Amino acid sequence: MKRITIDPITRLEGHGKIEIFLNGEGEVERAYFQIPELRGFEKFCEGRPAEEMPRITPRICGVCPTAHHMASTKALDDLFKVEPTPTAKKIRELMYCAFQAEDHILHFFFLGGPDFVVGPKAPAGERNILGVIAKAGMEAGLKVIEVRKRLRKVIQTIGGKVVHPVCGLPGGVSKPVTEEERKEFIEAAEYAVDFSKWALELFDGVVLKNKEYLDLVTGDIYKHRTYYMGLVDENNRLNFYDGRVRVVDPNGKEFAKFKGRDYLNHIQEHVEPWTYVRFSYLKNVGWKGFVDGEESGIFRVAPLARLNAADGMATPLAQEAYEKMYETLGGKPVHNTLAFHWARLIETLYASERMLELARDPELTSPKIRNMPMETPEEGVGVVEAPRGTLFHHYKTDERGILREVNLIVATQNNSAAICMDIERAAKSLIHKGEVPEGILNMIEMAFRAYDPCHACATHALPGQMPLEVIVRDRKGRELKRLVRSL
Amino acid sequence: MGNPLRRDDGVGIKVARNLREKGIPAEVEVLEAATSGLDLLEIITEYERVIIVDAIVGGEGLPGKIHKLSLSDLSPRSGLVLSHGIDLPTVVKLGEALGLPQPKEIVIFAVEAGDISSFSEECTPRVETAIPRVVELVLRELERPRN
Repeated sequence: MKRITIDPITRLEGHGKIEIFLNGEGEVERAYFQIPELRGFEKFCEGRPAEEMPRITPRICGVCPTAHHMASTKALDDLFKVEPTPTAKKIRELMYCAFQAEDHILHFFFLGGPDFVVGPKAPAGERNILGVIAKAGMEAGLKVIEVRKRLRKVIQTIGGKVVHPVCGLPGGVSKPVTEEERKEFIEAAEYAVDFSKWALELFDGVVLKNKEYLDLVTGDIYKHRTYYMGLVDENNRLNFYDGRVRVVDPNGKEFAKFKGRDYLNHIQEHVEPWTYVRFSYLKNVGWKGFVDGEESGIFRVAPLARLNAADGMATPLAQEAYEKMYETLGGKPVHNTLAFHWARLIETLYASERMLELARDPELTSPKIRNMPMETPEEGVGVVEAPRGTLFHHYKTDERGILREVNLIVATQNNSAAICMDIERAAKSLIHKGEVPEGILNMIEMAFRAYDPCHACATHALPGQMPLEVIVRDRKGRELKRLVRSL
Repeated sequence: MGNPLRRDDGVGIKVARNLREKGIPAEVEVLEAATSGLDLLEIITEYERVIIVDAIVGGEGLPGKIHKLSLSDLSPRSGLVLSHGIDLPTVVKLGEALGLPQPKEIVIFAVEAGDISSFSEECTPRVETAIPRVVELVLRELERPRN
């Protein structure tokens, strides 16, 4: 059996390698996505005061620290049994929507989008933001930088720092919003709504009107019938900040709906010997291996999953875009992995509209920003929708609030089984008779870039760009080929 | 740049903090960044001269060894890759492509890391030893007349 490895994976946070095993006929036998890093973050936190977690956990990953900050803050609300004030919730949600929008925009234009805008078979050197600008124009590039700048200013104003916000406290936030700041938020949100509409038009023009891409998006190569999970409000509309966790089955029917606190009754973690990533699955369905379908407990999270798990979007323009996507792709749920990119843009529009709603809310500038914790801490769970999917923080402390146990289920971990399946399916249909041309290697990577995975989070490790070598071996373990992925 | 919770990955941040304590000229700003190259772009376009301090993996395999690099030293082929995010040369090219103001000079002090995956607020011994030397090198660089 021949082994072909793609390594390192470009344009992701974190690093890993894909190993593809070919049989004697040169057809793909099996494919694995492996992460060689070690975990250890949870152990690092034990013995520390729980209140430090909203400032420690964002350091797991420099890309979505705000998600960890928010999940951590909510875990503290639960731990100290204190309900945040209505204003505090609105401030948190506003900041959080700004974060979702800017993160999604970063992903689409810098990480996943280039595959579409420039084309998957284009040379590696062009499949990046520079290629996008060459194709879509300099103004497009400037717009992207500008909208992210404005959104990050909102996060900085509320959060104190852009990269690692510090405003979350058990029971509220650390400072109120002024009328002056509210005006800035409204302007930024309006700009973001316009940008999101433009981005969806761009997607429509560049991707949907291009038959080759549309075939890719709707084809069978990148398609899995799985369960889907996302946070929803009381009307079953997607909400990033709060709500109930809802799971639908591969036919779109509600399978479960639960409070974050009860996650252990629903989600279990499976471990494989060849990677440090833990694979999440639905406890009440069971682990049946890396397979599709109702009998397999594998579920997916993140943009497409969230749209599948909800009954709609809570804001009007996003709702229109949501309806258009499902109409185009043949109804709910959509199983095509590449539709994650489309769903990501619809979510960006929702996040911007929601930000605008909150920015206009009179209660936003109230001074009542915190309820003081009065109870003895014991155990708490916080759940949010990170850009990459549902994120759980679970803390157990002694009566002084010193951490005894920490469990984090990070978003990418919830998608990790599906990612492996996607790679294998793509490899099987694209590699034949031992032929592995350059463009096809990238198409396999496309499968999981759609998930926007952050393997740094999945293994609680931080990216380091270690040069990795690719070794192809025959079934006796002898080296056949040594490949290095050129950047 | 760096993550102060990840062993040697925090060396850049420690250098920055030492610099602030030592005192630096008024026109110099010391910033801590733990972000991808794209956000670096927004930061560097505001300055005329930029000095970056970061950990690197690769190089000569000598933890604590300090390399003074320029942008052209950071080509992917050279095997020297900064440990944070989208590579700097691409970021600078992006800035140029968008017509954004560019710093006239970018200097990188890269410290070879021993361990960037364990969780700890301390660097490994050789890297810890390198920190005061990097601080000195940065201060000397700041005193140099501009080109």
